[in-house]
Amino acid sequence: MSPVSATYLGIPGYVIFWVMFLVTMGLFLPRAYFLYRLMCLGKQENRFDRIGERFKNMFFVVIPQWCTLKSVTSKDFAGIGHAFLFWGFSCFLVSYIILIGISEGLGLHSYIRGGAFEAGFLTVLDIAGVIVMLSMIWAAIRRYIVRPPRLEISLEAGFIMFMVFSLMVLHFCTESFGMAALGETHGLPPISSAIASYLVSTGIEKDTLMAVSFGAWWLHYAFILVFTIYIPRSKHLHVLASAPNVFFKPLDRKVVLEPIPLEALESEEPPELGVSKIQDLKWKDILDLYACAKCGRCHVNCPAQASGKTLSPREFLRHMKDHLLEVGPGLLAKGSNGNGEATTEEEGKRLVGDVVTEDEIWACTTCGACQEVCPVNIEHIRKLLEMRQNLVLVHNQMPESAQLMLRNMQTRGNPWAGAQSLRLRGDWTNDVEVKVLGESDENPSTLLWVGCTGALIDRNVLATLSLVRILNAAGVDFCVLGEAESCCGDPARRAGYEFQFQISAEENIETLKNFNIKEVITSCPHCYNALKNEYPLYGAEFKVIHYTELLAELIKQGKLKLTNDMNTLIAYHDPCYLSRYNGVYQEPRAIIDSIPKARFKEMERSKTMTFCCGGGGGHMWIEEQHGTTKINHVRMDEVIETGADTVVTSCPYCLQMLEEGIEQKNVKETLKAKDLVEVVEAAMKQS
Amino acid sequence: MNIIVCVKQVLDPEIPPAKFKIDPEAKQVIPPAGVPPVISVYDERAVEAACRLKDKNKGKITVISMGSEKAADVIKHAISMGADDGFVLCDPAFDNLDSFGTAHVLSKAIQKIGAYDLVLCGRQAADWGAGQVGSILAEMLGIPVVTLACDIEAAGANVKVKRIVSDGYEVLEAPMPCLVTVSSEIGMPRLPAGMRLMMARKKQVPVWKAADIGAEAAQLDKGNAHTEITGLSVPSRKTECEIITGATPAEAAANLAAKLANLI
Amino acid sequence: MDNYKGVLVCGEMADGKLAPITIELLGVGRKLADELGEELSVLLLGSKSGALGQDAIAYGADNVYIAEDSLFDTYNSDAYTMAAANLCKKVLPSIMLFGHTDIGCDLSPRLNGRLGGGLSMECSALSIDPATKLLVTTRPVFGGNALATMLSKTARPQMATIRAKVMPPAERNDSRQGKVIPLEDKVDPSALKVKVIEKIKEEVEGVKLEDAEVVVTGGRGMGTAADFAKLRELADILGGAVGGTRVACDEGWVPATLQIGQSGKVVSPKLYIAVGLSGAMAHIAGCLGSKCIVAINKDNEANIFNVAHFGIVGDWKEILPAFTAKMKELKGK
Repeated sequence: MSPVSATYLGIPGYVIFWVMFLVTMGLFLPRAYFLYRLMCLGKQENRFDRIGERFKNMFFVVIPQWCTLKSVTSKDFAGIGHAFLFWGFSCFLVSYIILIGISEGLGLHSYIRGGAFEAGFLTVLDIAGVIVMLSMIWAAIRRYIVRPPRLEISLEAGFIMFMVFSLMVLHFCTESFGMAALGETHGLPPISSAIASYLVSTGIEKDTLMAVSFGAWWLHYAFILVFTIYIPRSKHLHVLASAPNVFFKPLDRKVVLEPIPLEALESEEPPELGVSKIQDLKWKDILDLYACAKCGRCHVNCPAQASGKTLSPREFLRHMKDHLLEVGPGLLAKGSNGNGEATTEEEGKRLVGDVVTEDEIWACTTCGACQEVCPVNIEHIRKLLEMRQNLVLVHNQMPESAQLMLRNMQTRGNPWAGAQSLRLRGDWTNDVEVKVLGESDENPSTLLWVGCTGALIDRNVLATLSLVRILNAAGVDFCVLGEAESCCGDPARRAGYEFQFQISAEENIETLKNFNIKEVITSCPHCYNALKNEYPLYGAEFKVIHYTELLAELIKQGKLKLTNDMNTLIAYHDPCYLSRYNGVYQEPRAIIDSIPKARFKEMERSKTMTFCCGGGGGHMWIEEQHGTTKINHVRMDEVIETGADTVVTSCPYCLQMLEEGIEQKNVKETLKAKDLVEVVEAAMKQS
Repeated sequence: MNIIVCVKQVLDPEIPPAKFKIDPEAKQVIPPAGVPPVISVYDERAVEAACRLKDKNKGKITVISMGSEKAADVIKHAISMGADDGFVLCDPAFDNLDSFGTAHVLSKAIQKIGAYDLVLCGRQAADWGAGQVGSILAEMLGIPVVTLACDIEAAGANVKVKRIVSDGYEVLEAPMPCLVTVSSEIGMPRLPAGMRLMMARKKQVPVWKAADIGAEAAQLDKGNAHTEITGLSVPSRKTECEIITGATPAEAAANLAAKLANLI
Repeated sequence: MDNYKGVLVCGEMADGKLAPITIELLGVGRKLADELGEELSVLLLGSKSGALGQDAIAYGADNVYIAEDSLFDTYNSDAYTMAAANLCKKVLPSIMLFGHTDIGCDLSPRLNGRLGGGLSMECSALSIDPATKLLVTTRPVFGGNALATMLSKTARPQMATIRAKVMPPAERNDSRQGKVIPLEDKVDPSALKVKVIEKIKEEVEGVKLEDAEVVVTGGRGMGTAADFAKLRELADILGGAVGGTRVACDEGWVPATLQIGQSGKVVSPKLYIAVGLSGAMAHIAGCLGSKCIVAINKDNEANIFNVAHFGIVGDWKEILPAFTAKMKELKGK
């Protein structure tokens, strides 16, 4: 006798079962299809390339739960809880298919029930059930009592926890009452049996026990169906969207922005540039909104949030999803396609400006922390950058400080021009022995790309000179462009001025090709990222390394000997664009390790979890908004906490930001900021 | 509206002061290494004024620039902001012309372009800053001129111009065709927008020589120049800081003020 | 060219009197005329011009050309150009002097275009070359980075505009004799093409930062908003503008639009007074073009002293009041 084969008030269980199922499907499927159609409003994008790799990613992230385990720290090990919850609940999912769907719904329970399979499977479920219940208790305590900053006290989360917990309770009721009714109190499944034994000992009537079991079964079934209907109407949609989101994630994470295809612009009706309406997003961006579970990891790791700005990655995703659901029906009704033909005047609120404010759009430093910690690989940054593109390229709207910098890039070829620099581009070459391309007969195929900051800003020129002297001492054959060098274009791209980036890229690639350059050494991580990861999309074919990679190699080869004692406690600030974007963090540490007598203190937020200095995303020029504090001051507090007397970095922006922080925090007596090359040079025996 | 804008390509005025070098013999400024020349600041504002008029009224903007062949860059810059067309006026005969010679060349080019409603110029060039070409050009063309505009609006057959004066501004009405010189109070010029930037890069800018525009030899003759530069020098700058002291802070303050008396 | 003789000043009137710039032009005009051995004349346009004839003569003019027509009471480019051109065609002045003012800057290039003379604007010095008897003018070029000397060999009249307070005013001598001559040609109002519709006096809160001749900037050392406001008093006395460093703007003591520095405004006033700011290069970048930089700072190693021309090492709280008072006194003189 099974719950479904019984008859209730004259109605066969099967009928009730299937009617309930169909009603649920009637409420679930249209909604799911609606969400799918909304996603199709987004622009085309090919995320079906390298399919094998994508499947591999999805399985190896989802099944072993690397998505949440990757962000487990000693302060936040909730990821472990989620992993167990997932594994536990997955067993239940399987059971719903087998024990409910096949066994009961299709009436095949005689083949499934009774026997080793059932005993084994139910044992697994028992253990899974306890694990899930414990994880829910832990989750509830954490969310409602401990209240860590990244979790919200929401009804939605509470409801989900309640549902999951109840499902477990109802499962145990079903099994234990049923087993007690049948007098099956043998060993397996262990926990249900134990409860069953207890129930038997209470002497409750067998019929009552069975009735309770059946009741619990139906209630369990009902809860599953309600949960199913709830999923596409809440943040729990992530259970459906997250695995696909991992499947469709960008395979090359370093490139956050795709270049704008110019052919499309030369057509009769060119699309509007960037993102100004919800349907300007790509379909994958919309899937991102579905996959977000509001876990808050992005929120607590965002430097803008940490310094009190209005921008929160989690919040702007939430607002976008709300806006999509609000205007979506109207857009679908108008029959608009991905070209954004439908107008949104009637919808009232504008995506850019109202739903996501300009303050939020410009506050992002593109540090990448949000994307690094997101368990479901949401791409926060490109949404903001594409909004910047629309503001700059179409509406000529941007913060005044951004406009000054962009105008300089466009007219003068570098962002620092004006009275901001006391130097001309090639001036620094007068202070050191170096081969300038075009000025000498020699034409080495290795180029040191100095970067705008390293050539024009006094403090950073010191680092450039150090680096050149080190390379000379190590016998590296290289050249520089001198005054012919112009901006790599990164600040323009990050500020939304995409075409200027493209122009810079094409011109620079042409220059390097003319001089037959095969390898480029960079000192600025932003130049590094642009030249290495973005320029190949425009035809660049040269190899790009950061100086830390080169110096580490030279030290290993013995070509660079560090022999002077440096009695100092060093803290190393990993630049975002070097460590997080490009995974270069071992090499600087290897270099520091080779410095005699130097002691090293690892910062709490380091390597790929480094905390931004506040200079990226165009923010060396774009005025920081009023928050509660400044990003570099937040980082400075962390540096001071290490007790180091030297904070070392390998990025010109970070160096400036750290020095400003030292000045403002009034610690310049006890703490100095240095570029890694300066420390290396000091450790070299002077010849 | 047919608008013609006259723009000049100048050495970048924003180089570090210490890098400013002259050749006193040649009476020229030595272009600093690696710094590209730019569009004169006020001329860019004139292009902006033209673009704003085009935004509100239908029209065509033609830009002309007298200079070297590199002046094509400033024409392209203007096109990327919103101008439709442009011409470079380049000829050895045009080198080192004074304000009258320059105005003559521009007037001939304008006559070649044909019908126009409005000619816009910057109030002065960011390099030599003579500040006369606009007004002289208007006299040569025989049209009215309004100087130091901070806002221009089309009003039927007239333009309404808001003009900067020392204690505020005036609003004037001038019949078209006329010439208006534009000042920086008009505001920030627009950043060349995305697609126009790419489009302007590809544009081929025609070069007109003296013969193409029918420039008169007498006007180009350096011997007939109205003004000539007889000397160029750089005033010496002191950078040693003189620390002022006094028996009391108040006395030091008074001493300092006295030192500055001739500056206020 | 040889029949061009004499110096003609384009005079201006303010509040029913000769404008101070006109008195200064008469001073330098007299010197030039004396060196040439020629006459000094002045043109006055407007209904009050007749009453000022004697004043102009007392300040050195030999001839005063007047047009007592109310048409000229408000400056109209067409009217003034016509009147001045008519006079010049009759009188043929060798040299014409204008103030570098609203009127002078508009009138002189236009008149130059009409007459075919040679004009130098914003001159800092004028002299007569003893050998050639030509007017040699000196003017700033390239944004003030250089000085050019210019002359007109053959073009006449030789014209120059001069800013107020560059030349000393003429000495008044009431015993001087001269002629007051009304202009013959009348200007036909219907010939005027450009019309002035409105004049708006702007209540500007102080001078615009980018145009100010004097800028007073405060930094972190100011401490509070109330203290920062004390800078406005000094700025107002000097007819200048107030600016702030990034810190001051962040603190909200001064609007962000008044930030001077790397990501703010770049200014190049005659006088730049930096109070309570250390002079980080990011800020210095915004004021290096200043003619004279003055620094008041507690720290004698502050970077500002590396770029300042004058400075006091001390607490601004003790220095500023006395400084402001003394500046007020000097300005009043």
